[in-house]
Amino acid sequence: MAAEADAPATVRLAFPPEARLLGTIRLVVGIVARKAGMGEEGIEDLKVAVSETCAVAVGDLNRAGVPDPIEVDLVEAVDRFGIEVRDRAPAVAADPAAADGEVDDRELGLALVGALVDDLKTSALEGGGNRTSFWLRRGPQEPGGLGVRPSDPLGDPDRDLPPPLT
Amino acid sequence: MDLDLNVRKEGDHSVLEVAGEIDVYTAPKLREQLIELVSDGSYHIVVDLEKVDFLDSTGLGVLVGGLKRVRNHDGSLQLVCTQEKILKIFRITGLTKVFPIHSSVADAIAAPAE
Repeated sequence: MAAEADAPATVRLAFPPEARLLGTIRLVVGIVARKAGMGEEGIEDLKVAVSETCAVAVGDLNRAGVPDPIEVDLVEAVDRFGIEVRDRAPAVAADPAAADGEVDDRELGLALVGALVDDLKTSALEGGGNRTSFWLRRGPQEPGGLGVRPSDPLGDPDRDLPPPLT
Repeated sequence: MDLDLNVRKEGDHSVLEVAGEIDVYTAPKLREQLIELVSDGSYHIVVDLEKVDFLDSTGLGVLVGGLKRVRNHDGSLQLVCTQEKILKIFRITGLTKVFPIHSSVADAIAAPAE
């Protein structure tokens, strides 16, 4: 039982690829991150990062006509907060809306995520799809919340996020 | 999640007050409003972001699109924002060099068009 108590706390969300639900995802991320002891600036950064990542997934899935849900893992570790977003979108061309005389939202969004969070990683899922993960460390002004433990039970600060359910 | 838009005239300027969250779902509403303003001949626009709770890259894209449209008519698009979380998005993306950002609508209206 002790090992279970020391395991990272993970909240797993799944939602259909509908842009109207992004606000709900941000809301949940904000609540979970606050409960995990993240500071206000970190919470806002996480909300932007997860929203941008999920928006890319929603766009890709809709253009491909794939209704599969997007999965989001929120992982609370000792000194940081991690998020992993997984979708089943096939590789698709750039958003044609970017040709509307405006900037390429997709590229801008991903650049924004990269600037806001730590350890941004993207990879292809086996069988098709994308996995995007990132962490945000607690700053010195963020003393931690309910889930903070004195030492990292997993030891390796560079470990990957837990694998998704299959 | 809503995005509320309110337009008023102040002299030569149209002031577009935005309240709520600007993301990929709501940004089209803002885009349509900006297009409508320019179509109606409003080429000097102040976008007041003081009541915006969230802004993502889609919203930035819409604002850049609005700026291009008014510049096609030698107009201006100025922003009002004092919220650090929103200003941070502009700074990270380098758009503080593109948009004049003011601390009040009065300052934005008083500023010379760039």
